[in-house]
Amino acid sequence: MSLVLVGLSHKNAPVGLREALAVLPAEKIFERCREEGVKEAVVVSTCNRFELYLAFDEGQSKAPSWALTLLERLSGTRLSVHAYQHGGADAIEHLFSVASGLDSLVVGETEILGQVKTAYEKSLAAKMTGKLTNVLFQRALYLGKKVRSETNIAVGQTSVASVAVQLAERIFGKLTESTVLILGAGAMAELTARHLQSQKAAKVVISNRTYERAAGLAGALKASALEWEKFPDALKEADIVVCSTGSSEPVVTKAMAATAAEARAGRSLFIIDIAMPRDVEESVADLEHVYLYRLEDLESIVADNLKNRGGEVTRARELVVSKAKEFHAWERTIGTAKEGSLKHSEAA
Amino acid sequence: MMELLLMKTATGLYALATALAVKYLFNRDERISLWMLRLLVAGLVLQAASFGVRLKDFWAIPENRWFMPINSFYGALSFLALAVAGVFAVVEGRNRLGILGAFVIPWALVCAAGAVGRAATMGGTEIHGLSPALQSYWINIHPMVLMTSYAAFANAFGVGAALLIQEHQIKSRKPTELCYRLPSIEELDTLNYKIIAFGFPVLTVGIIMGGIWAYNAWGRFWGWDQKETWALITAFFYAGFLHMRYVKGMRGRKAVYISMLGFASVVFTFIGVNYLSELHGYLSGRG
Repeated sequence: MSLVLVGLSHKNAPVGLREALAVLPAEKIFERCREEGVKEAVVVSTCNRFELYLAFDEGQSKAPSWALTLLERLSGTRLSVHAYQHGGADAIEHLFSVASGLDSLVVGETEILGQVKTAYEKSLAAKMTGKLTNVLFQRALYLGKKVRSETNIAVGQTSVASVAVQLAERIFGKLTESTVLILGAGAMAELTARHLQSQKAAKVVISNRTYERAAGLAGALKASALEWEKFPDALKEADIVVCSTGSSEPVVTKAMAATAAEARAGRSLFIIDIAMPRDVEESVADLEHVYLYRLEDLESIVADNLKNRGGEVTRARELVVSKAKEFHAWERTIGTAKEGSLKHSEAA
Repeated sequence: MMELLLMKTATGLYALATALAVKYLFNRDERISLWMLRLLVAGLVLQAASFGVRLKDFWAIPENRWFMPINSFYGALSFLALAVAGVFAVVEGRNRLGILGAFVIPWALVCAAGAVGRAATMGGTEIHGLSPALQSYWINIHPMVLMTSYAAFANAFGVGAALLIQEHQIKSRKPTELCYRLPSIEELDTLNYKIIAFGFPVLTVGIIMGGIWAYNAWGRFWGWDQKETWALITAFFYAGFLHMRYVKGMRGRKAVYISMLGFASVVFTFIGVNYLSELHGYLSGRG
């Protein structure tokens, strides 16, 4: 059997081209493949990539260029300059890299693993998989998990908002009982609020100097709005405070935070100051049970995380290469008398 | 001999589990945690077997029949190791808090190694006949109950240490990998509190039982023996912790300091007092 891959990704193809392919239904490709007698096909289609994997029976092998022409005809666009074409061992290694997040925009991201899984399941449902693609994709999914658990490639959040949420979880555990107070109604405030809501924060309250804007954002987020004058009192109830107003003077003073901390009787208060210039007096950080993170603190954590991920790429790559070799060796025995077996548990 | 061999093997397993627990702190590999728990449980099983052999030998002496063999340093230390490891396996193991192993399992190792060391200096596992005063069903209850509370406090101490580290990590604004490995501040705080809220009444009941036994054996409920005094001091620290927590809402670092003073008092009551107390001296063989 032989394997062929044709694809485009964020690395070499402009957005417009990727979009043209993204709308191409996999069913249509499967249909054409059936007509041509190709029995195994998987389409991995995300906003960052479009890839077509084909497996041929012995004797009916086609070149990668055949697959490229197929895609060009179906989409009505010329792709050749931007597309990559791989066969055999290279195609295997490519899929393994993709599943491991090594080919992603943010290295190590985990979303791609789910997308590869969906692609495979779609193909499975359409009865377009066979011996080679079944084992290949199951292997890729297994490896994707293995790489992320055995290397630090997926460790550490990579955006300011997600780092803030992760820290909140290091303080409160699950956020399902936490109240969030947002000061300001700008884009960063909204982004952080959405991240906190995605972690099931119990309650979100938004306060802004202009009440209408607070109410507007609150409506969009299913949160509640609070008059600006009342926010110092709300500090007593809030567990997580996100500050991103446009004020030129600090809006949260040490006296204010101290009063709140006292009323909270030892319960932690997490203040995230992502405003420029700052919204929170620096000395607030000295208060017991109060944890203050400023924009630059969060940014330096993001930078560290990205650096760490980068450092893990070599290790992850080694795993991918060795597993790809192993798979290729197995692939060549298919249909022969000495057909080998692949086990998930064997040593890397 | 079988008893000591099993005990030594169990101690070795605790040592390996401790090493894995420390490795797991810095290494995000779930298999390490899994093996840590497996080794710990294996150690527990061997220790239980060792205790079974001990019972058989101990009961071979007629006046010891049906009494617990913890009237000696060896007996007490090995039982305590068993209890600390057992409480950890149940509390942290069940809550998937294997990460706390590095803070708790060392205590089981220290107790087990202490027992083995004691056996080496005494040339055996200290099996001898109970003095008449100790031949009471209370020996099956009073020390066991107290040591259960000690085991709980050892676990609380580990959790408290983890809490201090986590609080420092987050306060510093430069959290390291360790911050993401440890449970959250609130979880650690609650766990510390819950374990102490369990340990304290157990300790209190244990002390009262001791009083009743003392009344039966020596004709007085309380005699300000060193062990009695220090047990009371320990109880005061933990009562203080619970009071501050309940009434004043004290949490975090300061609360941990109080509970740690309590644990220091536990350690002194268990070991130091032997050099002071006539009535409660494991060293004098009086239990």
